[in-house]
Amino acid sequence: MLVVWIVLGLLLVALLWAVMAYNRLIRLRNESEQGYSAIDIQLKRRADLIPNLVETVKAYAAHERAVFEEVTEARARTLSAGNVGDAAAAERQMRGALGRLFAVAEAYPQLRASENFQQLSAELSDTEDKIAAARRYYNNVVRRFNTAQQTLPTSLLAGPLGFRPREFFELEDEGDRAPVRVSL
Amino acid sequence: MTLQEQIRSNRVRTALVLLGFGVLTLAFVAVIAGAYDPGIAGLIGIVSIVYGLVSWFAAGRIIAAASGAHPVTKAEQPELYRILENVSIAAGLPKTPDLYMIDDPSPNAFAAGRNPDHAYVAVTTGLARLLDERELEGVLAHEVSHIRNRDVRLMSLAAVLVGVIALASDMLMRITIFGGGDRREGGLGAFGAVIGIVAALLAPIGAALLQMSLSRRREYLADASAVETTGDAEGLASALAALRDDHRPLRKVTRATAHLYIESPLRDHRGLRSSLGGLFDTHPPLEDRIRVLEEMGGFQLPPAADQPPGQSSSF
Repeated sequence: MLVVWIVLGLLLVALLWAVMAYNRLIRLRNESEQGYSAIDIQLKRRADLIPNLVETVKAYAAHERAVFEEVTEARARTLSAGNVGDAAAAERQMRGALGRLFAVAEAYPQLRASENFQQLSAELSDTEDKIAAARRYYNNVVRRFNTAQQTLPTSLLAGPLGFRPREFFELEDEGDRAPVRVSL
Repeated sequence: MTLQEQIRSNRVRTALVLLGFGVLTLAFVAVIAGAYDPGIAGLIGIVSIVYGLVSWFAAGRIIAAASGAHPVTKAEQPELYRILENVSIAAGLPKTPDLYMIDDPSPNAFAAGRNPDHAYVAVTTGLARLLDERELEGVLAHEVSHIRNRDVRLMSLAAVLVGVIALASDMLMRITIFGGGDRREGGLGAFGAVIGIVAALLAPIGAALLQMSLSRRREYLADASAVETTGDAEGLASALAALRDDHRPLRKVTRATAHLYIESPLRDHRGLRSSLGGLFDTHPPLEDRIRVLEEMGGFQLPPAADQPPGQSSSF
């Protein structure tokens, strides 16, 4: 009789643990989805600035067609990206294209002096900071989510219940700030 | 302790503080009713509870008024707002908190509010002037972490409850001195006065206990979360070093709100602090916080100019 109670008790404990572990995984998955949509909002915000920017630069440097096409293509790719990998690839392309666009603008002092261009580049750099911030949040959450799935004992549950590690939103040139080890 | 554990523990502590406050109020009322007059006791009880509820919902505004903080718009402070927006996004807050400013040359900052949707970050004009962008980012990320970790709810609650206790004991003092006691015969007036004085003395001790229950560990945790948010331990560390090297006290600060700030605003209490061995400190020594950040980021700030070595740790 005693053995039965002990077994039942152990089962109950295991069940409680499973419920808590499952809830934690669900919470992390929701947070990482929220994190991704936060990046998406900022990417869309920037995409909205692009046509205006291209028009402004065109007014002063109409013959730099290759750069405009590159930026417009990167914008289309950003808007059609369906997953993290695509969005990150589009973002890399966009960074390169915008870099070249601003390099072109350097050669036109009148363009640089125009109020419209200055305002657009300020807004653009603000959006870029916000993309970086949203990316940092997303990657932090994904790191926690993936770690929870890969470490014991949660890993026993994560696989069978259909949790899959998420992709980081990674850009190759992470040179601006070195990663920091955080101990909570 | 992870973030979720911290949030959970804050929830439990909030409930405990509320319960403790309820018991305290009941005991207070019972003592007055026994020694004095049930009518007056009931009146004080009801006024305290109503005042407590009102303060809970208006906590943010009350704290703003007590600290001289006023809201500023994005147009007035575009740079600060931009940094605040960015760290809020990086911390995953549902919305950017409002920005308040305190006109004071002493650099300091705090966060207050009921929950992440009703919260604000207040900084002094001195902080905005003294720190560069990277340091401001560290400080704002620290405050935003308090909001995300649900520290602000507990800390705001503590601030207003300390106010309620002060109000109740104050009312009792007044009633004792200006009548009320006349209605009864004998030495009860004197007895009531004694109770009033004892209660008035207990209120600040209760305040100190409440603030200590808020644990200095949450400052370390908010520092660590801030670093996770910004990825830049050095910015926050050099901001803390700047706060350490500035000895101007805040002009408008009360004991009830002292624990809210990123660094203790009661700098003139330094003598008391050292004599009590840091027992009543609301904040851990800045030196220790900077050292933890240095270990996290693997860098070394230049030591304080005006402090002899070996005197910083007060535990």
